[in-house]
Amino acid sequence: MSAERLVHTWFASERDEEVIETVSEISNGTISLLNVVKALGEYLTSEEDSLRTKGVEFLSAVLSRCPADKINRQAARVLTTFYCSKLEDSETIVPALKGLASLTKLPSSTSEDVPSILDAIFEHVRMNGLVQSVRFQVFTIIDTLIARHREAMKAMNNNFLGRYIALVEGEKDPRNLLVAFAIARVLLIEFNISDFVESLFNITFCYFPITFRPPPNDPYGITTDDLRQALRGCLNATPVFGPLAIPVFLEKLAAGSPTTKRDTLETMSICFPVYGSALARSQARKLWNALKLEIFQPTDPITEEFALRTTQDLVKTIYAEQLSGGSDGDMVGLAQDACEECMTILREPEKSQAKPAIKVLCAFMSTTPSVAQYTVTQTAPYLVKLYTKSDNIASRPSVLLLLSELIAAVRDSRKDEESESFELPLSPFKDEILGIVSSALRNPASRDPALACLLGMVSTKSLLSDEELGFIVHNVDEILSEDSEDAEEASAPALQLLVTISLKASHHIKEQTLPLLFGMLPDDAPARDAALARARAWRILSALNTLCRQPELFESLVIRLNTKLDLLCVPLTPPSPQEVEPRAAYAHSILTTLHQTLLGKVEEGHADVAKYIESLVPRLFNLFIYSGLVSGKIATDSRLLTVAGNIIGAVVQNTTVRRQESFVQALFAAFMDGRFEGIAEGYHKIPSSNVFAPFNDSAPRKQRNLVILMASAVLPLHKEIRIPVPDLSVFLESVLTWTMAETDVDSQRESAWKMMSSILNKRSADASTFVGNMLQNFWPQNIANRSLPSEKRNRAIQIWVWISKALLVCNHAQASEFTELLFDVFDDADVKWSAAKYFGDVIRTDSVLTKQNHASIKMLYAQRFVGRILPRVTAGAQDPSEPEKQISYLVALTSLISSIPKTLYIHDMPKLVPLLVRGLDLPDHNIRYQVIKTFLSVAEEDSAEAISDHISTLIDSMLKNSTVENMPFVKVRASALKYLGVLPKIVRYDILHPHRAAVIRQLAVSLDDLKRGVRKEAVDARTAW
Amino acid sequence: MATGQIFNPNPTVFISPSTKSSSSSRHLLAAKKSLWMNSGELSEFVSGNVWEDNEDEGEDNEEEIIDQDEIFDLIRKIYDPEHPNTLEELHVVSAPQITIEKNLIKVEFTPTVPHCGMSTLIGLSIRVRLIRSLPTRFKLDIVVKPGSHQSENAVNKQLNDKERVAAALENPALLKTVEDCLSGRD
Repeated sequence: MSAERLVHTWFASERDEEVIETVSEISNGTISLLNVVKALGEYLTSEEDSLRTKGVEFLSAVLSRCPADKINRQAARVLTTFYCSKLEDSETIVPALKGLASLTKLPSSTSEDVPSILDAIFEHVRMNGLVQSVRFQVFTIIDTLIARHREAMKAMNNNFLGRYIALVEGEKDPRNLLVAFAIARVLLIEFNISDFVESLFNITFCYFPITFRPPPNDPYGITTDDLRQALRGCLNATPVFGPLAIPVFLEKLAAGSPTTKRDTLETMSICFPVYGSALARSQARKLWNALKLEIFQPTDPITEEFALRTTQDLVKTIYAEQLSGGSDGDMVGLAQDACEECMTILREPEKSQAKPAIKVLCAFMSTTPSVAQYTVTQTAPYLVKLYTKSDNIASRPSVLLLLSELIAAVRDSRKDEESESFELPLSPFKDEILGIVSSALRNPASRDPALACLLGMVSTKSLLSDEELGFIVHNVDEILSEDSEDAEEASAPALQLLVTISLKASHHIKEQTLPLLFGMLPDDAPARDAALARARAWRILSALNTLCRQPELFESLVIRLNTKLDLLCVPLTPPSPQEVEPRAAYAHSILTTLHQTLLGKVEEGHADVAKYIESLVPRLFNLFIYSGLVSGKIATDSRLLTVAGNIIGAVVQNTTVRRQESFVQALFAAFMDGRFEGIAEGYHKIPSSNVFAPFNDSAPRKQRNLVILMASAVLPLHKEIRIPVPDLSVFLESVLTWTMAETDVDSQRESAWKMMSSILNKRSADASTFVGNMLQNFWPQNIANRSLPSEKRNRAIQIWVWISKALLVCNHAQASEFTELLFDVFDDADVKWSAAKYFGDVIRTDSVLTKQNHASIKMLYAQRFVGRILPRVTAGAQDPSEPEKQISYLVALTSLISSIPKTLYIHDMPKLVPLLVRGLDLPDHNIRYQVIKTFLSVAEEDSAEAISDHISTLIDSMLKNSTVENMPFVKVRASALKYLGVLPKIVRYDILHPHRAAVIRQLAVSLDDLKRGVRKEAVDARTAW
Repeated sequence: MATGQIFNPNPTVFISPSTKSSSSSRHLLAAKKSLWMNSGELSEFVSGNVWEDNEDEGEDNEEEIIDQDEIFDLIRKIYDPEHPNTLEELHVVSAPQITIEKNLIKVEFTPTVPHCGMSTLIGLSIRVRLIRSLPTRFKLDIVVKPGSHQSENAVNKQLNDKERVAAALENPALLKTVEDCLSGRD
């Protein structure tokens, strides 16, 4: 199509298509841009304003999309002249600027064109008459020119600067300002601005501080911070602003809101280094006075923090040129003055002003090395003197607290420094400090701050010698061995200190602290009524747990505690009946300690955990199998077995597949074939004449209990490991039968179920017969069979849940058949309650099928399950046609909801809320508790809408659940109150207002609850309302 | 406060002993209750509420009566109107200064300086906090420590005069200041 036709068509249609068409014609060379200009000729010179405007508009639109290589130098020059002339015409100025904006970006537009473009703009463009988008074009043109032809513009310098300043003055739109600030920064840095300092200062500082707030849903996405950063780029662009800027800063700092203050402080921080040390030095006094006010009478902690940082930057700027090692004389000025000022305040260390004073001194530590050195040399001996000379003994703890902050600041200031060549600032004073601190340890009042001082010193790299660390350990041990309430108070920080030392020099702990603690641990169990002795033993165990994470220390712990266990559980003389339980409980606490320490190590990723499969694990098996088989009343308690099992599980979990392989062989040899020699090795000699067959029907309970240990050892096996039995289905079948036997206790049964679940989850391919049997025989015979006693059927349901879970987690093909069957008994009076209540357990995350236990967990299995089941359960709970079933569905729903992450149901909240509110009336307090917990967990999310519609029933139910008469269970009352306390934060006030008086009245009753925890929640809730 | 006057610009701040319930007393309490150690006893710091995870608890409705410490807990975190410190940190209130006799609670507090003009405000804040947080059966008596304030009687009278307290709380500006003290400032 010819250029003329395209132009004419566009004039008639004004559609984008013609522009695109024109561009493509130009691109493939059919027509040239010049043809277009010619075709436009009559419009461009038309007498009619609107035609002229449209003519230029079309040209600019084409130009903006035109490929760069289609416009040669010649064309560019012509177009430049053309557009410049169109700037004179008020009708064409807008499209002409648009055209120039595209044109100046083209490579064929050169620096030759710059003067004429600028002249035309400065002469004809009056910014205050133009709308934002047009002004934006002007800024874009100048920005492009500066980016591309900086030298040409610098050659214009004054000629450009003066006119530019006049042009941009008064700009207010944030979009334009972002460009203007970027331009200004270049001008300030690269142009000779000597004649324009003041006017440039005016067109930048007039925007400081930025008070722009983006409107809600701002389509341009410009934030306050964008503008702030861009402006700061101008403010700190040149040192010549310095003398003008400081008074502005001081004024804004004194008068501003917290936001302004913070902005000013941050801006000052980045400006000081640019403005230079001479200016900083001459203004130091004024600046410090202003900063001091923000630190000593802070508006808020954040501003205070900012002010401290600005002070640091000021100091850094002033002393930037000095190298470390200068004499004190070099510190004349701010560092010295401020230091002295702060130290005068420290003279009253217990007063509130001492806190900001030490903060300032600590801040100085992270400035320049020389200032830091000077500050330490002044402050540390001063504080030491204050401590020793002080007439006021009571102020000593305060002095130490200040000292500890200084030590920590010195330490932190040197964290990133690798070099150890020059002396540590604290070294000259460490002897004196150690002296006063070790004496302070003996005084209960100053113990905590003294420990804080030590912690700071110990954690400072290479400050203390090995010998000094030993000395500290010795002193701190005295606190641990002291038997007084004060000493016990200090034991937590003391232990923390010892742990820190153990990371550097564990031998001190091993040689000094551990023997002390082991010695303090009683050999015999504290008697039933000796609560004090028991608490003391627990305290020591707790200390050991905290301390013995390091491999070397843990090894000692295992050896010592193992020996203790052996003696406790199998004493030489049989314990009297009243001794048995305290003994077992004491042994239990020792096992718990081992387990917790082990868990701590696992969490910290210690590699030495695995090796305990060779020592700790066989020893535990030895002790427990001996006790179960030969004699012993203590290590047969299922509580002890459970913890021992946890220890074994934690170790097995962290061993390699290879080691697990041989371990599991030995394990099954012991439990299935009675050959326990391979697994139990240790102190006690077990005569091989004893028959070990825990799975035997006639096995005594003591032996059957040992299955707990086996189960714990099987749970963390890797998937790859084949269970060493001839047929896995047969094995699972036999365990199943074993757990259905009447005589068992719960803990045995549950362990065995977990073991089955874990095996099935990982090795379901080996056990398809078993899965089939479960569906075809077990369900009809043991669960659906209404002639069986309900107790047995309920137990079978629990098994069912464990099996379903194992299959569901690994996305087994038959998993859904298992869960479907559960719905069948929702109307069966005997079992519907457990079927519904355990329903959620199918999907609940537990401690068995976990990643740590190497379970086979398929992605999104929970999402699939919930997606399939939740709508069905919800519908069932809403359907009133069968009231019996409806309740079951409701129970199942609460169980399900409380088992799954809230993201899976949060979208259904509007539907779920009315059902959950009904759940608050169910006759089971645990269900109610779960429902309230669900409400609490969704409270953070956007559940307000869903709740608001049911607010009055919800409030009533919660209030009902919060009083003793209606709800005897403490945790339900407390959580109901907690939820009531959350409501005012999530629901609009106008919705709550009608209930306010009633709630406050009702909450007054709970203020007098019997339980402290409940009262506390009531107080919080009432305050919230 | 709108008035720029500061009565005590640099009060003594006391190092408050660790506010967490100390592990030792926790151990003792647990040891009295049971022979068996809970794994929670091993960690030095217990976070959150103990009742949360205690599954088998519930039947045990042994009464825990409101004591000195519980009341102290209610008022220790109130902020001083003049300083960013709590009343506890400034030793304005302390547990031993609280006495409970049946339904009468007496709270004594110590102004930081004898001429402290903020005393009534502090007392008022304590009273408001306790009115809101204690069962109505309690009668409250709030007094400054004898000899610690120059106009002791006037302050005490003002604080324990029902009508005057009610009148004070009708004043929105005053109520706002009290609320600020109670909630901590931003």
